[in-house]
Amino acid sequence: MQGRSDRIRGWGLGIWSAIALLYLFIPIFIVVLFSFNDNKGRFNFTWQGFTLDHWAQPFADPDLATALKNSLLIAAITTVIATALGTFMALALVRYGFRGRGAVDMLVFLPLATPEVVLGAALLALFLTAAVSTGFVTIVIAHVMFTVSYVVVTVKARLEGMDRHIEEAAMDLGATEWATFRKVTLPMIAPGVGAAALLASAISIDDYVITSFNAGQTTTFPLFIFGATRQGVPPEVNVLASALLFAVLILMGLNVLLQRRLARRSLARELVDEPQAGALVPARG
Amino acid sequence: MSDPHLEQALEEFFEAERLSRRGFLGRAGSTGVALTGLSAVLAACGGVKGEAQKSKTTKVAVVSHPKTTIGDWTFANWPLYIDKQVIKDFNKKFGGHCKYVEEINDNNEFFGKVRQQLQAKQPIGRDIVTLTDYMASRWVRLNYCQPLDKKNIPNISNLEDNLRTINYDPKREFTLPWQSGAIGLGYNPKKTGREIKSVKDLFDPKFKGRVTMLSEPYDSANTVLLGDGVNASNATIDQILGAIAKIDAANKKGQFRRFTGNDYTTDLAKGNTWIALAYSGDLVQLQSDNPELRFAYPEEGAMLFTDNMMLPTKAEHPYAAETMMNYVYEPEVAATIAAYVNYISPVKGIQDILANRKGGAAIAKNPLIFPSAAIRKQLHPYPALSPKDEQTMQQAMAKVTGA
Amino acid sequence: MLRLSLKRRRQLLPWLFVGPGLMWLIVFFAIPLLNQANVSLQSGDAETGYAFNWAFGTYTSALSDYQTQFVRSLGYAATATLLDLVIAFPLAYFAAFKAGRFKNLILLLIVLPFFTSYVLRTVAWQLILSDGGWVTNRFRDVGLIGADGRLLASRTAVIAGITYNFLPFMALPLFVSLEKIDRRLIEAATDLYASRAQAFRRVTLPLALPGIFAGSLLTFIPACGDFINAALLGTSRQYMIGNVIQSKFLTILDYPTAAALSFILMTLILVGVLVYARLLGTQQLTEAAF
Repeated sequence: MQGRSDRIRGWGLGIWSAIALLYLFIPIFIVVLFSFNDNKGRFNFTWQGFTLDHWAQPFADPDLATALKNSLLIAAITTVIATALGTFMALALVRYGFRGRGAVDMLVFLPLATPEVVLGAALLALFLTAAVSTGFVTIVIAHVMFTVSYVVVTVKARLEGMDRHIEEAAMDLGATEWATFRKVTLPMIAPGVGAAALLASAISIDDYVITSFNAGQTTTFPLFIFGATRQGVPPEVNVLASALLFAVLILMGLNVLLQRRLARRSLARELVDEPQAGALVPARG
Repeated sequence: MSDPHLEQALEEFFEAERLSRRGFLGRAGSTGVALTGLSAVLAACGGVKGEAQKSKTTKVAVVSHPKTTIGDWTFANWPLYIDKQVIKDFNKKFGGHCKYVEEINDNNEFFGKVRQQLQAKQPIGRDIVTLTDYMASRWVRLNYCQPLDKKNIPNISNLEDNLRTINYDPKREFTLPWQSGAIGLGYNPKKTGREIKSVKDLFDPKFKGRVTMLSEPYDSANTVLLGDGVNASNATIDQILGAIAKIDAANKKGQFRRFTGNDYTTDLAKGNTWIALAYSGDLVQLQSDNPELRFAYPEEGAMLFTDNMMLPTKAEHPYAAETMMNYVYEPEVAATIAAYVNYISPVKGIQDILANRKGGAAIAKNPLIFPSAAIRKQLHPYPALSPKDEQTMQQAMAKVTGA
Repeated sequence: MLRLSLKRRRQLLPWLFVGPGLMWLIVFFAIPLLNQANVSLQSGDAETGYAFNWAFGTYTSALSDYQTQFVRSLGYAATATLLDLVIAFPLAYFAAFKAGRFKNLILLLIVLPFFTSYVLRTVAWQLILSDGGWVTNRFRDVGLIGADGRLLASRTAVIAGITYNFLPFMALPLFVSLEKIDRRLIEAATDLYASRAQAFRRVTLPLALPGIFAGSLLTFIPACGDFINAALLGTSRQYMIGNVIQSKFLTILDYPTAAALSFILMTLILVGVLVYARLLGTQQLTEAAF
């Protein structure tokens, strides 16, 4: 009886989730669809017919390719830096009661509350005063600046209420603080850090306003597209956006396979080498 | 002093100034610019000392950008505004490497980006920037751009007659048109049921809720003024505010679905709206996929916007910039650009070139790209407003659009 | 470092962790922001220059002139946050509890739409929701909108747009928080004769509170300052404070007012956040757990 209502609930949740994901992807389907549009003019919102021409030559405009490359590179670098900075900040803010914690907490929230125009323009003013020329590096600096807050908030959600006893137990068993951190804490917050990294990269790739102020002459993907809307966004943009999506999906698929292979291997190793440590890891449903 | 050349030059100068007396009077902070023009005229005739001393500025605008080898230089423009082959051909013909950056997405945004450097009189790292009239006017007024050495741009003689002078730069010393466009009535005759010919049609209650209006007051308010029979190029701020009030009243009654930038195109294409105050170039593109759409130059006249090439102050490669400006005024090159961009070219004589090119016949016949002489006479440039007036206008319009 | 006493280490360690991030925020955020505070108290204009003169009047006039937009922004953002919570919670729950090895995939799918461009997504919605389109016609059939009604250029469209674009910001923190809940606690509750609903209300929900709090923050706060949705999907009657600030900054070039509006917005948001935090009692919750 418990089992059946459980299963109905499971199915209900599953259907809701499917609908929610569908909702998220409806416009994406349109974007992908219109990458095949055989448009005659420069606008791309009336369906004219199916063509593979755009997929055959997605890099017809070399500036588009450069813009995309810049965006990806910036997102990668930003994610690494912001996730590192943010995770450590979150750890400090949740775990330690130090003087000034409230102020730091507030400082972390503020970038989220500031309108992008002001963030971008204020930062540009700083760069100009310091005679720093704007370009790739300043974009990265700007992106890290506003994604750090997202990382902190997300990782904090993971850390708050997390059971400290396991880490204490590890240290009682002789692990140094660093080893505990590496082998117990990090794996436990890994999903939070992973989600935060994903969020940071998504924000970085899609940012327009702050980037436009601090980009100098470097183009990024959103900058190119916003600019192109005046004359009409070419379907090649849809092609690249779709290709990016597929690439990430494939990478993720490979990652899932890899994780399963690694998990199986490490589980086997643990059972052989350290049966006691296995008992300390809480059973997860 | 009876030098006919000088007299003619003076006449032309004052003629141009008369076109925008208000603009001239309004340039309170920068009379230096206007008087520089006068000094240039005088200097060109060997410098008559007496007259020159009357000017408030000691700067004599004799500008000379001697020939240098063209190395790396930067051309900032709007996206999709050139056939990239032109850049390649230029590099091949003149050497060097032109860094073509499509970073201008919006006049105000671009200004926001470079404003501080300009104010601090620092170079902005671009040798040509392409800005729409009202922004170009601001740069000229604030001395953010430097005069062009016309000796390097002999092809300027190919400039269309109606663009040879403009109220904020009467002798085209600082600006050279890149492309123009008209602001007219884009509409779907299947939905409206009839031809749309007049600015008044935008206010026809039969189309309530099916009209979009441009949020840029230079475009919308001035079009309304033209519809009321006022010569918008000489409009006073009070007249403009009156037009904005008219737009406000109509908006409150629900006449306009919304105020747009460039994004009226989806609504028009999908039939959400029936009439849009629109840019000519957009309609050319829309018509390829939606052939039922039409563009009408309002019978009362239409506003003409021009994007202009300018040389920022402290630009480091003026010779390269001017060589490019000269190059794109060669009719063959201008024809290539016009075929790609589909806006109104400022260069004379390219219609025939395009008619004889493969695939160019349709473009040559398109009245949106090559308006007839009669229509050209009815195309009006933006009025040159003082900074205070411009801010007043923008604030009034912002209240209407809800920002 | 290792030679220091444990107490010393305890004191310094947090600062070591917080240091780099803090420095980054101070240099690239706090200082520019202080400069903006300076600007907000100046008066003048772009051509004659600005002078600092304690122009507090800017703040009062900004607040009174744009009351409507402030209230509207907070309202839209709150509605969108609530909607996002309702949509995202079951999704995050499913991913965390029921998805097994597919949980990371679902996480990725939630974020993936962001890797296309904002413009493309919004244009897509404009196409989908166009007046003569399939979706709008069905809404008309069902009577949700009038015969002459439309979905676009309306308050509905703007709120729907904000909800859509901020969904991942709600879903991810929710997931993160739900995923770490120890199933055994829930099992224990049901073993102790709690019904499923009771277990949910008294065990799962409170433990998910940090996630709900974080997700609401990441959704509500940026949504207040959003301007793009209103610009592309709304009319002048839907413009938010973000549109005003954008316009003041870029078009009207009224930097002091733009800066003042930003600070007012930030203050309003912070007040809202503090009230929300108090309501949820997150602090006490996490302290009580240990």
